[in-house]
Amino acid sequence: MIVAERKTIPELVDILEGHKKILVLGCGTCVTVCLAGGEREVSIISSALRIASRAKNLSFEIEELTIERQCDNVFIEEAAKAVERNDVVLSLGCGAGVQAIAERYPAKPVYAGLNTSFIGILEERGIWAEKCAACGACVLDQYGGICPVTRCAKHMLNGPCGGSREDRCEVRPDRPCGWQLIYQRLKSIGQLDRLKRIVPPKNWAPSLGGGCRVIVREDHRI
Amino acid sequence: MKHDSRLAKKIAAGDFIVTAELLPQASTAILEIEAAISSFGNGITAVNVADNPHGPLLSSLAGSLVLVKAGMEPVYQIVTRDRNRIAIQSDLLGACALGIRNVLCLSGHHQALTGSPESANVYDIDSIQLIAAVKQMRDQHVLLDGTAIKGDFPVLIGAVAGPDMKPLELNILRLAKKVEAGAEFIQTQAVFDVEAFERWLEQARNQKITENTAILAGVMPLSGYQEAETLRDHYMDLSIPDSIIERLKKAGDKGAQKKEGLNICLETIRKMKKMDGVKGIHLLSGGKEKRVSEIIASLEK
Repeated sequence: MIVAERKTIPELVDILEGHKKILVLGCGTCVTVCLAGGEREVSIISSALRIASRAKNLSFEIEELTIERQCDNVFIEEAAKAVERNDVVLSLGCGAGVQAIAERYPAKPVYAGLNTSFIGILEERGIWAEKCAACGACVLDQYGGICPVTRCAKHMLNGPCGGSREDRCEVRPDRPCGWQLIYQRLKSIGQLDRLKRIVPPKNWAPSLGGGCRVIVREDHRI
Repeated sequence: MKHDSRLAKKIAAGDFIVTAELLPQASTAILEIEAAISSFGNGITAVNVADNPHGPLLSSLAGSLVLVKAGMEPVYQIVTRDRNRIAIQSDLLGACALGIRNVLCLSGHHQALTGSPESANVYDIDSIQLIAAVKQMRDQHVLLDGTAIKGDFPVLIGAVAGPDMKPLELNILRLAKKVEAGAEFIQTQAVFDVEAFERWLEQARNQKITENTAILAGVMPLSGYQEAETLRDHYMDLSIPDSIIERLKKAGDKGAQKKEGLNICLETIRKMKKMDGVKGIHLLSGGKEKRVSEIIASLEK
């Protein structure tokens, strides 16, 4: 899922200052699961903004709404009337959701209420960790299902760097070294030989190196 | 013409090699580099110029050129942290055109561990891919994108290794890949745990790695037990045994500790000289180049 974090209330107040009628719009998909922008967070953030508004005499009028998916036009339609009757939208969707809302309502200011962080999973209660950098050219088949692009701080493709020790990463000593995990995994599945191959430089063009990415599926175009 | 460096000739001749490291400053005063070079004396075959290990300093390319001008042979360090393959290959062409003949390929300290943790990194290629790229440029005269290189590119290719990195199997696998990719000399991280280094070296010998590359063992004089503890706690690639720290503590005041640090370093070098598979030493000083000259002077006694 896409994992995001809430911006702080002072940051949101800075963003919204000068506006009156504000729609706080949640998303029922990824950001609900990672406890950043679902119905519950819409309620909490709206309450906090109302308190801040009173404290700073900002006269915010806040409406709350959560739709199933902000990145999908079918669901965005459900927000049409609420968007219309407010001056601005504070989207608690991911970066894709914020932009989808902004594209659908070109005359309405749409602000991001979250910092979209990464594609990851819930590792344990209260801890989400990145697992995929969406590089556009997956190499997981070669590394025992553990991604060196995401889980090595240097995206090393040929083995660990010198900062790998005792299963820890030098850059984040609270996290395991991705390369130690790859080594252990390949060893346990009898594929350690894969590490002996010198992997050539990666083609980053399918990643951010090629600009804004688009996938066209001719078989789905009418 | 494959190589054109004194370091390459010394490796080929089987001489015991001494290299040292120069840490440029955040400075435009070339005199500082020249002073550091002159303090090294004649016992050094080549001098590494560090590539921004802790944040922006005078560039390793510029520092290497100062050395060339002063008649000293540089080992031009390139980390893959800050430049993509376009910039690195471009710098390599320029370096070679201006007389640099030794290149050391490494990934470099992650920027999060430098004074500029907020900067973005590049890591377009890793250290092994850099080694292979330099070898391709030299042996096939083509850049990574297939463009032909005009003129010779006679550089000696070096890489680094951390003997203390565990597990040993993964460590040696990585070392073997570096040598297979083209590393003709390996400078190791500073060695303090000599027994662990011997175990690492034995594995390297068993896999015939020492026959295909020149291992230059890293040594570093410690100034005192506090420095030793700081290095141990902050650098995962350094392993400093408690026995060394105790020895420094017992030495006495700061002056005595510094002297003991030098003694430990000299003892380590003498042991290294006897080891099968060690072709020389690489003197690290963390920017205290004067300490290198003390070691050289003591070795020559």
